[in-house]
Amino acid sequence: MKSFNLFHSSVFLKVIFVISAAIIFFIAGVTFKHIVVLKKSSTWVTNSFRINLELEKLASYLKDAETGQRGYLISKDERFLEPYFKSKLLIKNSIKTVTYLSSNSRTQQSNLKKLLLFINKKQNLMSKSIYLMKQDSVDYDQINKNLYIGKGIMDTVRFKIDDMIAVEKNLLQRRQKDYENTMNYTPLFIYLTLLITLILITISFVRMNSDLITLKKANNTLMIANEANSLAEIVGGFGSWQNNLETGKMIFSDNIFRLLSAEPQSFEANEEALRVFVHPDDVELVAESTKNSFNNQLLVPYTYRIIRKDGQIRHLRALERIVKNETKDKIYIGTITDVTDEVFANKYMEERNAELEANNKELTAFNYIASHDLQEPLRKIETFISRLIEKDFTSLSQTGQEYLTKIQSSTNRMRILIDDLLQFSRTNKTEKVFEVTDLNLLLENAKQELAQNIEDKNATIESNVLPYLNVIPFQVQQLFTNLIGNSIKYSKENVAPIIKISSSMVVAQNDVLLPRNKNKFHKITIKDNGIGFNQEYADRIFVLFSRLHNKNEYTGTGIGLAICKKIVENHKGYIFAKGQINEGATFTVYLPIT
Amino acid sequence: MDKDYIYIILADDDEDDRLFFSDAFNELKMNTKVTTFNDGVELMDYLNDTNSILPNVLFLDLNMPRKNGIECLLEIKKENRFKDIAIAIYSTSSSEEHIEETFVNGANIYIKKPNDFNVLKKVLSDVVTLNWQYHTSGLNKENFILRM
Repeated sequence: MKSFNLFHSSVFLKVIFVISAAIIFFIAGVTFKHIVVLKKSSTWVTNSFRINLELEKLASYLKDAETGQRGYLISKDERFLEPYFKSKLLIKNSIKTVTYLSSNSRTQQSNLKKLLLFINKKQNLMSKSIYLMKQDSVDYDQINKNLYIGKGIMDTVRFKIDDMIAVEKNLLQRRQKDYENTMNYTPLFIYLTLLITLILITISFVRMNSDLITLKKANNTLMIANEANSLAEIVGGFGSWQNNLETGKMIFSDNIFRLLSAEPQSFEANEEALRVFVHPDDVELVAESTKNSFNNQLLVPYTYRIIRKDGQIRHLRALERIVKNETKDKIYIGTITDVTDEVFANKYMEERNAELEANNKELTAFNYIASHDLQEPLRKIETFISRLIEKDFTSLSQTGQEYLTKIQSSTNRMRILIDDLLQFSRTNKTEKVFEVTDLNLLLENAKQELAQNIEDKNATIESNVLPYLNVIPFQVQQLFTNLIGNSIKYSKENVAPIIKISSSMVVAQNDVLLPRNKNKFHKITIKDNGIGFNQEYADRIFVLFSRLHNKNEYTGTGIGLAICKKIVENHKGYIFAKGQINEGATFTVYLPIT
Repeated sequence: MDKDYIYIILADDDEDDRLFFSDAFNELKMNTKVTTFNDGVELMDYLNDTNSILPNVLFLDLNMPRKNGIECLLEIKKENRFKDIAIAIYSTSSSEEHIEETFVNGANIYIKKPNDFNVLKKVLSDVVTLNWQYHTSGLNKENFILRM
């Protein structure tokens, strides 16, 4: 959000800069134009003044000429003719100047033409009069007449010059007005645009200032985050590095140095600096893994050894990847964690595990072989006893017969013990093949296994529909067989056993017997109307070889329910027993739904 | 088979078991001829001799010295001449592995040695009088193990 604001602001500032530059350009243009206009108008003014001056001069030269001529006419003295001839030249020059100066005004040109006509006329008249005077017989009448005409022409000339001066004045006035018109609004205009520029610059200054504050705040937050990170690195025993692939600049966090048992930032950060610490045996592994994470951009951590500055060998776990920053630079980042303790703990655990596994295997094998090989001689004894009883029982004495019967019952018991032990060891075996199985079918098989018992005791088994579950089929069948067999065995004398089997689905946290979580279980309840047991012993009945009754009252090895517990544990389920003396027992089995 | 004998062979290294076996057939008073061998080598030597009379039913113990029951079973099943011999595995073990292995390799029935002489007699008489034609055609594991 903050970076977005800053981004917005930078666009805003750019726009303001462009507008300001455009305005300044515009002002410069306007000013330049006005200076040009000013210069031009000053040229106009000078020009007009010079024309007027020259015209005045012209008039005055003409007057000088006339004065000279008149002086000659009166005195016939040739000296008076000197200014007359001088002014003739001056008039010529003056006319040339005026012609040049007024070259760009058509009105003045035509006026000038007329003026020249009259000046010529006047000059001709004057030279004619001087000529007449120089004659031997002076025609005074003619001279008088000429003088009279000359005065009229002179008046016209004066009138014409005045006219031209007036036109020039007019022209000047008009130009002056034009110039003023242009100049009048210019200062206001420049002032206004300057004002706008000033406002824009002020706005951008305010904006920049607020950006600076935001930046400062962000910097502050970043500094604190950096500090927190550095602390976390120390506590967590890890360090981080960054490698800008565009600039080739690399940064190590302080803790990287500590992991190498070096002072923070005590040497320059680069790839080589890290590589020199890698254990010689792991150099290849590190190169390979780095290449992998570089090429595939995969986040696969790898563990390698280093030899620290102090000579200790430590195990490090590295995790690397490539990120892109805002300027689109590719930055390779990574962390290394000291996992030496973890590695050793794992190694220890692995060793212990292997040891345990070996022990377990040995135990299972021993259990199996013991019970299996014990069967062999026992079977012989049993067979011989059965033959002895059949063939020679009657020829034995009464005590002999009694002893033989006792031997037979003892071997029977041993047989049951060995069978049960064998079964228990099989339940323990590691191969556990789970398949989705119809529990109804397994229950049916169990009932068939117990068919004889059920018939003998006239037992009734009621069950509702059981689910399909992912189980080890023969073990669950064994579970049913053992639990139903148990209920039949511990039934009340002269009361036909009624065994009720029901099932339902439960969520662990809704069942008081299960841990507080959301795992789903199938709850199977096996309830009988037998002799029951004291609730005090509810846990003990599942312990191997533990029995609640004397073996003379009820045959049994104390293995059956231990097998049940084992089977349920193999399925990651739970089994509980609830009993009340003379009321019956209830076994509850929870099998997880996976 | 009114006049013909039923030829029966047992290969078992246990002397007592051979004795029980022979005694049981003696007491059964069936029309049987029982021959016993001490191990797999003796059995195979006899069978491979073309002059020998091939048995109708062969009882094979699994755990024998020199050549065990499984090895014998494999050899017999390879030989076309022996295809009519019904093979009954006769063992102390009732482990799933043994049952599975012998079933897969073509034994016809699996008997766990009983621990009562009368039961033994009943088992043997049942096996011998079994309708093998019917039994072998089923080829399912359910009736492979003979349950008493």
